[in-house]
Amino acid sequence: MHPTDVDRTPETPETPEPAETPDARRDHGTPGDRPVPALRARRPRPGLHDTVLLAVLAVVFGFVFWVADQVYGPLLLALGPFGGFADAVLGGAWIVVAPLALFILRRPGAGLLAEVLAAGVELVVFGSPFGPMVLVSGLVQGAGAELAFALTRYRRWGWGTFALSGVTAAAVTYAYQTFANGYLGQDLYLLRFAVLVVSCVLLSGLAARALGLALLRTGVLDNYPVGRAR
Amino acid sequence: MAWNPTVKLGTLLVASGAVLLVTDPVTPVVLWLLATGAALLLGRVPAGTLLRAQLALVAFAGSVFSSNLLLRHDGDVLAVVGPVEVTSGALAVATSFAARTLYLGTVSVLLVVTTDPARLMVSLHQHARVPATTSYAVLAAHRVLELLPAEWEAIRSAQAVRDPRRAAGAPLPRSPRALGTAVFALLVAAVRRAERTAIALESRGLGSGPRTTAHKVPLRAGDVVAAAAVLGVVAGVLLAGWWGGWLSGPAALTA
Repeated sequence: MHPTDVDRTPETPETPEPAETPDARRDHGTPGDRPVPALRARRPRPGLHDTVLLAVLAVVFGFVFWVADQVYGPLLLALGPFGGFADAVLGGAWIVVAPLALFILRRPGAGLLAEVLAAGVELVVFGSPFGPMVLVSGLVQGAGAELAFALTRYRRWGWGTFALSGVTAAAVTYAYQTFANGYLGQDLYLLRFAVLVVSCVLLSGLAARALGLALLRTGVLDNYPVGRAR
Repeated sequence: MAWNPTVKLGTLLVASGAVLLVTDPVTPVVLWLLATGAALLLGRVPAGTLLRAQLALVAFAGSVFSSNLLLRHDGDVLAVVGPVEVTSGALAVATSFAARTLYLGTVSVLLVVTTDPARLMVSLHQHARVPATTSYAVLAAHRVLELLPAEWEAIRSAQAVRDPRRAAGAPLPRSPRALGTAVFALLVAAVRRAERTAIALESRGLGSGPRTTAHKVPLRAGDVVAAAAVLGVVAGVLLAGWWGGWLSGPAALTA
């Protein structure tokens, strides 16, 4: 897909694209085969289920980010003076929860909130080498990843939108890092941006959709907006 | 530390943000030393914990130092290393950013060691108007996290026991494929647990109206005074650099 297909959204305001593999849906044995209608009927606050899932994703990925921090240190040492590239190579790994939360919850703000919460968990529970400013990074990265979905008015959930999400996340993040890490005036400035774009498209946008689809096939997301949309 | 966690988080966030535009070497070094002193004396962070954290941060600081030293060219040439000229301007900026890394990391250690996550969430609900559903959801998610190690063991053992080629008593498989499937199963388990948790919270009436708090976190005048004192010290360091003439901003990066 191409980023310009964003412009065509107003003509296709209908439902998200059809699900890929409706047949593979329950082959992992979901607990119970009929809880879905009852649960759906008696949920007074549609927000609570989504909020708890958002929080669990944030906590799990806060841990993933902390693991990425641990990989990042040795990679920095190995790359020596080109350590800035470690930022760019791993960059997408810190943004994966925002598109994943959006994939599942399909709600404006879900990506931003998930990313900020995950950064907060990384900071308060595990400890982050980036200090409290990691909350601001989370805000910026979440906003960047969410930008692509906002541009499509939260109506398109195909591979193209998720790839675009990686690009917008990379652009917004790099603009912030230029300001916050003082990249201005360094050599190889644009090359690093290119590496970051590739990293964000693969590790953030496309990885999030692949992970989301795999989760969808197991059936655990049947009670969430992505499962109900099928 | 009895400092109100919301006030502490906000104060340390501002104190960390203050160095973002600083590019001279003196200011971040002074702030790093002050943060280390505060962690040891006020935060009562054990010296061993702090030392280990600082050693881990040296990798980051070293990389930031070397990349800025070699990728920048500004001022007098101090030395020539192979094809690269090391310049005085680059040395100043590299030292500044390395010290900033150590400063931010030290603040982070101070925050982790002195903050109880549950107390922070209660305080954020009380004092920062975070909705009850969000703060309870995060607290419940934190509990889910504590259960994940046991879940991980169960998943790994279950997958190993179902492998027909595995000899009895053999160690658990460590191939990337085995670990990958276990990680995915763990994520599925976490999502499933999220749904059960949501139902449990709902059945306890969460999300159906205003909540009271059993163990309130106090917010006293002393908390605000402490915040003002910390920010005053940071502002003092910046002002001293300004009056003394050694403070420099982002203009030095492109000069």
